[in-house]
Amino acid sequence: MKIDLTTKIAGLTFKNPVTVASGTFGTKDEFAKFFSYAKLGAVITKTVTRKPRAGNPMPRICETPSGMLNSIGLQNKGIDEFIDDTIPHFKKINTHLIVNIAGENIEDFAELAKRLDNEKGVSALELNLSCPNVAHGTEFCDEPPMAHDLIKAVKEATKLPVFAKISPEARDFLKLVESLMKAQVDGISAINTIRGMAVDVRTRKPKLARVTGGLSGPAIKPIALRYCHEIKSRFKIPVIAMGGISNAKDALEFIITGADLVAIGSANFVNPTASVDVVKGIEDYLKEIKLKSINEIRGTLKLN
Amino acid sequence: MFDEKVEIVSNEKINSAYWKLTFASKNLSKKVLPGQFMNVQIEDQTDPFLRRPFSYYRVSGSKIEVLYEILGRCTEILTKKKKGEVLKILGPLGKPFAAKIGNKKRILVAGGIGVPPLIFLAENLPVGAYGNTPLLLIGCHTKSEALPKSELKKVKAEVLYATEDGSFGEKGFVTVVLQKLIKEHDPKSLFIQTCGPFPMMNAVMKIARAHGIEGEASMEEMMACGVGACLGCMTETKDGFKTSCVEGPVFGFEKLKV
Repeated sequence: MKIDLTTKIAGLTFKNPVTVASGTFGTKDEFAKFFSYAKLGAVITKTVTRKPRAGNPMPRICETPSGMLNSIGLQNKGIDEFIDDTIPHFKKINTHLIVNIAGENIEDFAELAKRLDNEKGVSALELNLSCPNVAHGTEFCDEPPMAHDLIKAVKEATKLPVFAKISPEARDFLKLVESLMKAQVDGISAINTIRGMAVDVRTRKPKLARVTGGLSGPAIKPIALRYCHEIKSRFKIPVIAMGGISNAKDALEFIITGADLVAIGSANFVNPTASVDVVKGIEDYLKEIKLKSINEIRGTLKLN
Repeated sequence: MFDEKVEIVSNEKINSAYWKLTFASKNLSKKVLPGQFMNVQIEDQTDPFLRRPFSYYRVSGSKIEVLYEILGRCTEILTKKKKGEVLKILGPLGKPFAAKIGNKKRILVAGGIGVPPLIFLAENLPVGAYGNTPLLLIGCHTKSEALPKSELKKVKAEVLYATEDGSFGEKGFVTVVLQKLIKEHDPKSLFIQTCGPFPMMNAVMKIARAHGIEGEASMEEMMACGVGACLGCMTETKDGFKTSCVEGPVFGFEKLKV
């Protein structure tokens, strides 16, 4: 009995609801020696910016209880190399490519969207409005009218579906989601990392060169899940849910809460096959409880 | 590359500084090269979250030995693991040390946890084509940290120790020994390979630069994925940031920003 994991959102059909979070899956084929990317519903790329970025000084990562902090700083080779090298590589792989983009202002985002609009290998865009590791990285999240105008500008620049990746630290989270929806955003990716810090007791220095970074991993799962519920219980909008998902059980918590897609992030660093293990685990679970399709379990959270 | 569960064969304290862990892996034992490392999941739990990188020390048949120090929480946990317990190992990872260095005389400079990968190299040097006996210089604080002779018997190099307190070998930092050796040779005939604490490697590279001696250093940064995906472990080079886990950990002296 074949379990149907097909998920349809934003005009796209995904073979399963599992993808990988931006920045946690390399830039091209770092995990290809472990499994075929075609087994995933989609791959969300590392953030690409107009110009190449070197990223932040070391140390950029440290472990924290059941998680980690990162302040990578959007290191990437820029949009030109992305189009010339990365997109052709992914064209050969049978999975949706969702390109994560970031800009310092609306013009940057719109320009990136325009460049990618022509690329046949791209399925959708994910706008990084919530990186805690660069200057002005989360400003759009704090200003819903700005976020609204951003989505409008991007949607004018491209026909591709547009997802907005937002921060749980947005000043008014619900207002932000409302504004994004008013601008016809095709979906919300939530949540990005949460600002955190760690100190080396012996040296008395922060463990990250940039002092603060983004917290990710199992520690943030309850927070991510709550935000998924906040969105799904109030709005009718596709959600790519992420934050601390390590295994199929975690993924199902989010899907039951209504998530359309789920993204595996930091867990990829610990278990290179975490994402495909989640696909298999979801299948096995549906088989076990005798359901035939993911749609039968999605959004079935029992509230009194 | 393999990500496999391996069984611990033995895990014992060697001296005041080092523990030695042995596990069996047919796959890894065939592939591993000196200077490479593996990313080890110490516990199958959410905490400690990340894997930890360890360099390879010795391959003996299908058994692999790891020499480690207690440096933090995970290495402390590792000392409690017993024969039969399981670890998940991802490897082999990283760029190994250069095996062939032409006709140059090889000088290895090691300290701390840089000692095991250089011993691995010193035990597996290419046969022939070097008229000059390679040298392995090891620096440590005191005699109790110096490895027992049994751990050094397969090394195809002359071993010279330096202890900071003078209790064994030369007194002072290992770079004192290095300076003396350089005076006895034509610098252009030498090739240095170094691994150990940053202050030691920086001092080695300064000396090498001053005399125009080529070489390579094994670098290290906080690591998460070990496979070049997270961009957390970058080493700064003259060509920008490079991943310590894939493009390194071994870098030529001429590439590094010291």
